[in-house]
Amino acid sequence: MFLDAVILFLQEILEASLLISVLLALTELFHKGSGHEFRLSAYWVACAMILSGLGAWAYAAAMPTISEWFDYVGQEIVNSLLHLLSLILLIVLATVVPAGLFREAQTLRNRMTVLSMVIIVLLALVREGSEIILYLNGVLSQAENTIPVLSGGVVGTGIGISSGVFLYYSLISLNQPWSTRVCVLLLALLAGTMASQIVMLLSQADWLPYTAEAWNSSSLVPESSLPGRLLYALIGYEATPSILQVACYGLAVLSILVCPLFRNAWFQSKPVEGRV
Amino acid sequence: MKRLGYTLLMLFLIAGPVQAATPEIELVIRDHLFFPSVVEVPAGQKIRLRIINQDATPEEFESYELNREKVIAGNRETVIFIGPLQPGEYPFFGEFYPRTAQGKVVAR
Repeated sequence: MFLDAVILFLQEILEASLLISVLLALTELFHKGSGHEFRLSAYWVACAMILSGLGAWAYAAAMPTISEWFDYVGQEIVNSLLHLLSLILLIVLATVVPAGLFREAQTLRNRMTVLSMVIIVLLALVREGSEIILYLNGVLSQAENTIPVLSGGVVGTGIGISSGVFLYYSLISLNQPWSTRVCVLLLALLAGTMASQIVMLLSQADWLPYTAEAWNSSSLVPESSLPGRLLYALIGYEATPSILQVACYGLAVLSILVCPLFRNAWFQSKPVEGRV
Repeated sequence: MKRLGYTLLMLFLIAGPVQAATPEIELVIRDHLFFPSVVEVPAGQKIRLRIINQDATPEEFESYELNREKVIAGNRETVIFIGPLQPGEYPFFGEFYPRTAQGKVVAR
Protein backbone atom coordinates (compact mmCIF):
# COMPACT_ATOMS: atom_id res chain seq x y z
CA MET A 1 0.00 0.00 0.00
CA PHE A 2 2.90 2.30 0.87
CA LEU A 3 4.56 1.90 -2.53
CA ASP A 4 1.26 2.21 -4.41
CA ALA A 5 0.61 5.49 -2.61
CA VAL A 6 4.12 6.75 -3.40
CA ILE A 7 3.63 6.05 -7.12
CA LEU A 8 0.12 7.51 -7.28
CA PHE A 9 1.05 10.72 -5.47
CA LEU A 10 4.30 11.04 -7.42
CA GLN A 11 2.51 10.70 -10.73
CA GLU A 12 -0.13 13.33 -9.95
CA ILE A 13 2.20 15.79 -8.18
CA LEU A 14 4.90 15.48 -10.85
CA GLU A 15 2.64 16.63 -13.69
CA ALA A 16 1.60 19.78 -11.84
CA SER A 17 5.02 20.47 -10.34
CA LEU A 18 6.94 20.34 -13.64
CA LEU A 19 4.44 22.68 -15.31
CA ILE A 20 4.62 25.12 -12.40
CA SER A 21 8.45 24.96 -12.39
CA VAL A 22 8.65 25.95 -16.04
CA LEU A 23 6.22 28.85 -15.51
CA LEU A 24 8.11 29.96 -12.38
CA ALA A 25 11.47 29.81 -14.14
CA LEU A 26 10.09 31.84 -17.03
CA THR A 27 8.72 34.46 -14.64
CA GLU A 28 12.04 34.63 -12.81
CA LEU A 29 13.98 35.01 -16.07
CA PHE A 30 11.76 37.84 -17.23
CA HIS A 31 12.13 39.62 -13.92
CA LYS A 32 15.89 39.27 -14.13
CA GLY A 33 15.84 40.52 -17.71
CA SER A 34 13.97 43.67 -16.74
CA GLY A 35 16.15 44.27 -13.69
CA HIS A 36 13.64 43.37 -11.00
CA GLU A 37 14.11 40.96 -8.18
CA PHE A 38 11.69 38.04 -8.23
CA ARG A 39 10.38 36.64 -4.99
CA LEU A 40 7.66 34.08 -4.65
CA SER A 41 5.21 35.53 -2.17
CA ALA A 42 4.00 33.24 0.58
CA TYR A 43 0.63 34.99 0.40
CA TRP A 44 0.07 33.96 -3.21
CA VAL A 45 1.32 30.42 -2.60
CA ALA A 46 -1.17 30.13 0.26
CA CYS A 47 -3.96 31.54 -1.94
CA ALA A 48 -3.13 29.02 -4.69
CA MET A 49 -3.09 26.14 -2.20
CA ILE A 50 -6.44 27.08 -0.65
CA LEU A 51 -8.18 27.85 -3.97
CA SER A 52 -6.90 24.74 -5.73
CA GLY A 53 -7.61 22.60 -2.66
CA LEU A 54 -11.23 23.79 -2.66
CA GLY A 55 -11.45 23.37 -6.43
CA ALA A 56 -10.00 19.86 -6.34
CA TRP A 57 -12.37 18.89 -3.53
CA ALA A 58 -15.40 20.23 -5.41
CA TYR A 59 -14.33 18.55 -8.66
CA ALA A 60 -13.77 15.24 -6.87
CA ALA A 61 -17.15 15.53 -5.14
CA ALA A 62 -18.90 16.23 -8.46
CA MET A 63 -17.03 13.46 -10.32
CA PRO A 64 -19.61 10.67 -9.82
CA THR A 65 -22.30 12.94 -11.31
CA ILE A 66 -20.09 14.39 -14.07
CA SER A 67 -19.10 10.84 -15.09
CA GLU A 68 -22.67 10.01 -16.03
CA TRP A 69 -23.11 12.96 -18.37
CA PHE A 70 -23.12 12.38 -22.15
CA ASP A 71 -23.93 8.68 -21.77
CA TYR A 72 -21.17 7.96 -19.21
CA VAL A 73 -18.33 9.85 -20.87
CA GLY A 74 -18.78 13.15 -18.98
CA GLN A 75 -15.45 12.72 -17.22
CA GLU A 76 -13.57 12.62 -20.52
CA ILE A 77 -15.47 15.59 -21.95
CA VAL A 78 -15.04 17.84 -18.89
CA ASN A 79 -11.37 16.83 -18.45
CA SER A 80 -10.61 17.48 -22.08
CA LEU A 81 -12.32 20.88 -21.85
CA LEU A 82 -10.08 21.72 -18.86
CA HIS A 83 -7.05 20.63 -20.87
CA LEU A 84 -8.25 22.64 -23.86
CA LEU A 85 -8.63 25.74 -21.70
CA SER A 86 -5.07 25.28 -20.36
CA LEU A 87 -3.76 24.80 -23.87
CA ILE A 88 -5.46 27.95 -25.16
CA LEU A 89 -4.13 29.90 -22.16
CA LEU A 90 -0.58 28.63 -22.84
CA ILE A 91 -0.91 29.98 -26.38
CA VAL A 92 -2.30 33.27 -25.03
CA LEU A 93 0.63 33.42 -22.62
CA ALA A 94 3.18 32.84 -25.36
CA THR A 95 1.50 35.53 -27.43
CA VAL A 96 1.11 38.33 -24.90
CA VAL A 97 4.08 37.79 -22.62
CA PRO A 98 7.10 39.37 -24.31
CA ALA A 99 6.14 42.99 -24.62
CA GLY A 100 6.77 45.15 -21.59
CA LEU A 101 6.38 42.37 -19.12
CA PHE A 102 6.18 43.49 -15.51
CA ARG A 103 7.40 46.95 -16.34
CA GLU A 104 4.21 48.88 -16.34
CA ALA A 105 2.16 47.01 -13.86
CA GLN A 106 -1.25 47.87 -15.24
CA THR A 107 -0.96 47.12 -18.94
CA LEU A 108 -3.48 44.78 -20.48
CA ARG A 109 -0.68 42.44 -21.54
CA ASN A 110 0.57 42.13 -17.99
CA ARG A 111 -2.87 41.44 -16.66
CA MET A 112 -3.47 38.79 -19.33
CA THR A 113 -0.10 37.21 -18.59
CA VAL A 114 -0.76 37.00 -14.88
CA LEU A 115 -4.34 35.85 -15.33
CA SER A 116 -3.46 33.09 -17.79
CA MET A 117 -0.62 31.83 -15.57
CA VAL A 118 -2.91 31.83 -12.53
CA ILE A 119 -5.62 29.86 -14.35
CA ILE A 120 -3.14 27.38 -15.89
CA VAL A 121 -1.65 26.65 -12.47
CA LEU A 122 -5.03 26.36 -10.74
CA LEU A 123 -6.39 24.05 -13.45
CA ALA A 124 -3.35 21.79 -13.16
CA LEU A 125 -3.65 21.64 -9.38
CA VAL A 126 -7.41 21.01 -9.49
CA ARG A 127 -7.06 18.21 -12.07
CA GLU A 128 -4.29 16.38 -10.28
CA GLY A 129 -5.53 17.21 -6.78
CA SER A 130 -9.01 15.84 -7.42
CA GLU A 131 -7.55 12.49 -8.40
CA ILE A 132 -5.55 12.36 -5.17
CA ILE A 133 -8.66 13.23 -3.17
CA LEU A 134 -10.69 10.49 -4.89
CA TYR A 135 -7.91 8.02 -4.17
CA LEU A 136 -7.65 9.04 -0.50
CA ASN A 137 -11.44 8.88 -0.10
CA GLY A 138 -11.33 5.29 -1.23
CA VAL A 139 -8.29 3.84 0.48
CA LEU A 140 -8.64 5.70 3.77
CA SER A 141 -12.05 4.14 4.37
CA GLN A 142 -10.08 1.16 5.69
CA ALA A 143 -8.36 2.24 8.90
CA GLU A 144 -5.33 -0.04 8.47
CA ASN A 145 -4.38 1.82 5.28
CA THR A 146 -4.02 5.17 7.01
CA ILE A 147 -0.34 5.04 7.99
CA PRO A 148 1.12 3.42 4.84
CA VAL A 149 -0.97 5.58 2.51
CA LEU A 150 -0.28 8.87 4.26
CA SER A 151 3.45 8.17 4.63
CA GLY A 152 3.55 7.03 1.00
CA GLY A 153 1.74 10.23 0.09
CA VAL A 154 4.32 12.33 1.91
CA VAL A 155 7.20 10.53 0.16
CA GLY A 156 5.54 10.74 -3.27
CA THR A 157 4.71 14.41 -2.79
CA GLY A 158 8.27 15.03 -1.61
CA ILE A 159 9.84 13.41 -4.66
CA GLY A 160 7.36 15.17 -6.97
CA ILE A 161 8.02 18.61 -5.53
CA SER A 162 11.80 18.01 -5.37
CA SER A 163 11.80 17.10 -9.06
CA GLY A 164 10.03 20.38 -9.77
CA VAL A 165 12.48 22.34 -7.62
CA PHE A 166 15.39 20.59 -9.34
CA LEU A 167 14.00 21.44 -12.78
CA TYR A 168 13.40 25.05 -11.73
CA TYR A 169 16.96 25.59 -10.50
CA SER A 170 18.41 23.76 -13.50
CA LEU A 171 16.45 26.04 -15.81
CA ILE A 172 17.40 29.32 -14.17
CA SER A 173 21.05 28.36 -13.72
CA LEU A 174 21.61 27.84 -17.45
CA ASN A 175 23.35 30.70 -19.22
CA GLN A 176 21.20 33.19 -21.09
CA PRO A 177 19.83 33.03 -23.73
CA TRP A 178 19.67 29.25 -23.32
CA SER A 179 17.76 29.49 -20.08
CA THR A 180 14.80 31.21 -21.72
CA ARG A 181 15.11 29.10 -24.85
CA VAL A 182 14.85 25.83 -22.96
CA CYS A 183 11.94 27.16 -20.86
CA VAL A 184 9.99 28.15 -23.95
CA LEU A 185 10.74 24.83 -25.62
CA LEU A 186 9.47 22.97 -22.54
CA LEU A 187 6.37 25.16 -22.58
CA ALA A 188 5.77 24.11 -26.19
CA LEU A 189 6.16 20.42 -25.27
CA LEU A 190 3.78 20.87 -22.33
CA ALA A 191 1.25 22.34 -24.77
CA GLY A 192 1.80 19.27 -26.96
CA THR A 193 1.17 17.03 -23.95
CA MET A 194 -2.16 18.75 -23.32
CA ALA A 195 -3.23 18.33 -26.94
CA SER A 196 -2.28 14.66 -26.88
CA GLN A 197 -4.27 14.20 -23.64
CA ILE A 198 -7.32 15.84 -25.22
CA VAL A 199 -7.16 13.42 -28.16
CA MET A 200 -6.70 10.43 -25.85
CA LEU A 201 -9.70 11.45 -23.72
CA LEU A 202 -11.98 12.14 -26.69
CA SER A 203 -10.98 8.85 -28.36
CA GLN A 204 -11.73 7.04 -25.10
CA ALA A 205 -15.17 8.68 -25.17
CA ASP A 206 -15.58 7.75 -28.86
CA TRP A 207 -16.00 11.43 -29.73
CA LEU A 208 -12.99 11.26 -32.05
CA PRO A 209 -12.46 8.63 -34.71
CA TYR A 210 -9.99 5.80 -34.21
CA THR A 211 -6.59 6.27 -35.80
CA ALA A 212 -3.86 3.64 -35.96
CA GLU A 213 -0.90 3.45 -33.59
CA ALA A 214 1.87 5.82 -34.71
CA TRP A 215 4.66 3.77 -33.11
CA ASN A 216 5.33 1.31 -30.32
CA SER A 217 8.30 2.11 -28.12
CA SER A 218 7.11 0.12 -25.10
CA SER A 219 10.09 -2.23 -25.30
CA LEU A 220 12.45 0.76 -25.40
CA VAL A 221 10.99 2.93 -22.65
CA PRO A 222 7.97 1.31 -20.98
CA GLU A 223 5.40 3.87 -19.83
CA SER A 224 5.19 2.16 -16.44
CA SER A 225 8.93 2.59 -15.80
CA LEU A 226 10.30 5.55 -13.86
CA PRO A 227 11.90 7.15 -16.95
CA GLY A 228 8.61 6.56 -18.77
CA ARG A 229 6.63 8.34 -16.05
CA LEU A 230 9.09 11.22 -15.86
CA LEU A 231 9.05 11.63 -19.64
CA TYR A 232 5.25 11.46 -19.58
CA ALA A 233 5.04 14.26 -17.00
CA LEU A 234 7.63 16.41 -18.75
CA ILE A 235 7.00 15.95 -22.46
CA GLY A 236 3.85 13.81 -22.59
CA TYR A 237 5.63 10.62 -23.59
CA GLU A 238 3.39 7.76 -24.70
CA ALA A 239 4.74 4.37 -25.73
CA THR A 240 1.85 3.70 -28.13
CA PRO A 241 0.34 7.01 -29.27
CA SER A 242 -2.23 7.17 -32.03
CA ILE A 243 -1.50 9.05 -35.26
CA LEU A 244 -4.09 11.70 -34.33
CA GLN A 245 -2.41 12.18 -30.93
CA VAL A 246 0.98 12.72 -32.56
CA ALA A 247 -0.51 15.08 -35.15
CA CYS A 248 -2.27 17.22 -32.53
CA TYR A 249 0.84 17.15 -30.33
CA GLY A 250 2.84 18.53 -33.23
CA LEU A 251 0.21 21.13 -34.02
CA ALA A 252 0.15 22.37 -30.42
CA VAL A 253 3.96 22.54 -30.24
CA LEU A 254 3.94 24.46 -33.50
CA SER A 255 1.34 26.88 -32.20
CA ILE A 256 3.73 27.88 -29.39
CA LEU A 257 6.71 28.00 -31.76
CA VAL A 258 5.04 30.62 -33.97
CA CYS A 259 4.25 32.84 -30.95
CA PRO A 260 6.29 35.99 -30.25
CA LEU A 261 7.68 34.47 -27.04
CA PHE A 262 9.51 31.76 -28.97
CA ARG A 263 10.67 34.05 -31.74
CA ASN A 264 12.11 36.52 -29.25
CA ALA A 265 13.83 33.82 -27.24
CA TRP A 266 15.44 32.09 -30.21
CA PHE A 267 15.95 34.62 -32.94
CA GLN A 268 16.87 37.86 -31.19
CA SER A 269 20.55 38.50 -30.72
CA LYS A 270 19.93 39.99 -27.28
CA PRO A 271 18.45 37.79 -24.57
CA VAL A 272 14.77 38.35 -23.94
CA GLU A 273 14.62 41.21 -21.53
CA GLY A 274 10.95 41.49 -20.91
CA ARG A 275 10.61 44.54 -23.12
CA VAL A 276 10.42 45.18 -26.79
CA MET B 1 -1.59 29.91 -33.53
CA LYS B 2 -5.23 30.48 -32.75
CA ARG B 3 -6.14 28.11 -35.52
CA LEU B 4 -5.48 25.12 -33.28
CA GLY B 5 -7.84 26.46 -30.64
CA TYR B 6 -10.57 26.95 -33.22
CA THR B 7 -9.97 23.54 -34.75
CA LEU B 8 -10.25 21.80 -31.41
CA LEU B 9 -13.28 23.87 -30.48
CA MET B 10 -14.96 22.92 -33.76
CA LEU B 11 -14.18 19.29 -33.05
CA PHE B 12 -15.92 19.63 -29.70
CA LEU B 13 -18.94 21.22 -31.32
CA ILE B 14 -19.42 18.99 -34.33
CA ALA B 15 -18.03 15.66 -33.22
CA GLY B 16 -21.07 14.41 -31.34
CA PRO B 17 -21.14 10.86 -30.08
CA VAL B 18 -20.81 8.46 -32.97
CA GLN B 19 -23.84 6.23 -32.95
CA ALA B 20 -22.96 2.80 -34.23
CA ALA B 21 -23.71 -0.75 -33.26
CA THR B 22 -20.66 -1.15 -31.07
CA PRO B 23 -20.58 -4.44 -29.15
CA GLU B 24 -20.69 -3.94 -25.38
CA ILE B 25 -18.74 -5.99 -22.87
CA GLU B 26 -19.23 -5.86 -19.10
CA LEU B 27 -16.48 -5.72 -16.53
CA VAL B 28 -17.28 -5.75 -12.80
CA ILE B 29 -15.11 -4.48 -9.95
CA ARG B 30 -15.80 -6.25 -6.65
CA ASP B 31 -13.54 -6.45 -3.57
CA HIS B 32 -10.85 -4.63 -5.58
CA LEU B 33 -10.79 -7.40 -8.20
CA PHE B 34 -11.89 -7.39 -11.84
CA PHE B 35 -14.52 -9.92 -13.00
CA PRO B 36 -13.75 -11.40 -15.46
CA SER B 37 -10.04 -10.80 -15.19
CA VAL B 38 -9.57 -11.95 -18.77
CA VAL B 39 -11.80 -10.05 -21.19
CA GLU B 40 -12.00 -11.64 -24.62
CA VAL B 41 -12.87 -9.26 -27.46
CA PRO B 42 -12.96 -9.63 -31.24
CA ALA B 43 -9.88 -8.11 -32.88
CA GLY B 44 -10.28 -5.27 -35.36
CA GLN B 45 -13.50 -3.97 -33.81
CA LYS B 46 -14.38 -1.09 -31.56
CA ILE B 47 -15.68 -2.23 -28.15
CA ARG B 48 -17.82 -0.43 -25.59
CA LEU B 49 -16.46 -1.57 -22.23
CA ARG B 50 -19.06 -1.07 -19.49
CA ILE B 51 -17.31 -1.07 -16.12
CA ILE B 52 -19.50 -1.54 -13.05
CA ASN B 53 -17.90 -0.73 -9.71
CA GLN B 54 -19.69 -2.70 -7.02
CA ASP B 55 -17.28 -1.56 -4.32
CA ALA B 56 -18.12 1.45 -2.20
CA THR B 57 -14.66 2.89 -2.97
CA PRO B 58 -13.57 4.53 -6.23
CA GLU B 59 -11.16 2.77 -8.58
CA GLU B 60 -9.15 3.98 -11.55
CA PHE B 61 -9.11 1.78 -14.62
CA GLU B 62 -5.70 2.16 -16.21
CA SER B 63 -3.95 0.49 -19.12
CA TYR B 64 -0.75 1.66 -20.74
CA GLU B 65 -1.21 -0.81 -23.58
CA LEU B 66 -4.76 0.30 -24.34
CA ASN B 67 -3.92 3.97 -23.70
CA ARG B 68 -6.86 4.27 -21.35
CA GLU B 69 -7.35 5.85 -17.92
CA LYS B 70 -10.56 6.60 -16.05
CA VAL B 71 -11.79 6.99 -12.48
CA ILE B 72 -14.93 5.05 -11.57
CA ALA B 73 -16.65 6.26 -8.40
CA GLY B 74 -17.85 3.79 -5.77
CA ASN B 75 -21.14 2.01 -6.59
CA ARG B 76 -21.27 3.59 -10.03
CA GLU B 77 -20.71 2.45 -13.56
CA THR B 78 -19.01 3.93 -16.55
CA VAL B 79 -18.14 3.36 -20.19
CA ILE B 80 -14.76 3.26 -21.95
CA PHE B 81 -14.37 2.74 -25.67
CA ILE B 82 -11.41 0.59 -26.73
CA GLY B 83 -10.08 -0.67 -30.04
CA PRO B 84 -10.18 -1.62 -32.82
CA LEU B 85 -7.34 -3.78 -31.46
CA GLN B 86 -4.72 -5.89 -33.18
CA PRO B 87 -4.78 -9.52 -31.98
CA GLY B 88 -2.84 -9.70 -28.72
CA GLU B 89 -2.94 -9.16 -24.97
CA TYR B 90 -3.53 -5.80 -23.33
CA PRO B 91 -3.03 -5.76 -19.54
CA PHE B 92 -5.03 -3.35 -17.39
CA PHE B 93 -5.12 -2.64 -13.67
CA GLY B 94 -6.90 -0.61 -11.02
CA GLU B 95 -4.54 2.18 -10.14
CA PHE B 96 -5.93 2.58 -6.63
CA TYR B 97 -5.51 -1.13 -5.78
CA PRO B 98 -2.85 -2.24 -8.30
CA ARG B 99 -1.85 -5.36 -6.37
CA THR B 100 -5.20 -7.10 -6.57
CA ALA B 101 -7.11 -5.32 -9.32
CA GLN B 102 -5.45 -6.74 -12.42
CA GLY B 103 -6.67 -8.15 -15.67
CA LYS B 104 -6.15 -8.21 -19.39
CA VAL B 105 -8.04 -7.75 -22.62
CA VAL B 106 -7.35 -10.51 -25.11
CA ALA B 107 -8.13 -9.60 -28.70
CA ARG B 108 -8.59 -12.52 -31.13
